[in-house]
Amino acid sequence: MAGTLTPERTARRLCELSADARAGVLLDAAGAPAGFHGVTRDRSGDLAQLARATFEAVDRAHRDIPGGPPEQVEIQVDRGTVYASRTPTWTLAVVARRTALSSLMLMDLRAVLGELESGAPIRRSVSAAAPPAEAEASEEAAAGESPVPELGVEDQ
Amino acid sequence: MREKRKGPIGRAAGLAGGVAATVRRMQREREPRVLVYDETGYARLVQPDGRGYERLLQTAERMVELVDESEAEAKPRRPRARRADPPGGAE
Repeated sequence: MAGTLTPERTARRLCELSADARAGVLLDAAGAPAGFHGVTRDRSGDLAQLARATFEAVDRAHRDIPGGPPEQVEIQVDRGTVYASRTPTWTLAVVARRTALSSLMLMDLRAVLGELESGAPIRRSVSAAAPPAEAEASEEAAAGESPVPELGVEDQ
Repeated sequence: MREKRKGPIGRAAGLAGGVAATVRRMQREREPRVLVYDETGYARLVQPDGRGYERLLQTAERMVELVDESEAEAKPRRPRARRADPPGGAE
């Protein structure tokens, strides 16, 4: 299928979904890099190694923390935030801006990993920048529009 | 019981208190922190004296540095802007 997400494109997909994501790396179950985005090729190995080290440290830290094994981690430092999420098959880590909203970023991580594993693409709204060609603006169409579009279509 | 201050001094004191609270909140938000989430999305804070805390911060800082370096390399170098008008030059 043409639209199926591949491991090579996963980190790029995440950075496209979230404006606050700067770079990402995907690791396979063995911890080997399967795809990256936002860093140069010569630095991608280092980023993958650091992503691996992140969950190693999380698992060490988890011994002191009650609850199930951590699936996601958020580390806020001075100049950015690192988010990482893992499934039994994949680990996806992303470097984001400090202003990123944690809940959205963690949701995007889960969504992209879900898309990679299930093959079902994430539903996205139509971009406002590129309106469909057939929906040309006309006075008649404008007159029929609801002044409060958020409230939905009015009954005629 | 202390009387509530009114007038310009009271207003200035209130303003200063608000600014101080904002600065404290901003400082708190800038502090490094580590959170782990289990499969249900329940968050737990890794304490600064907890095992692995320092290692996690160092790892994240290095990751941010790597991205900074990559972005700095990818940015095209702009030539130095030349002076638009020489001293005493014509329009």
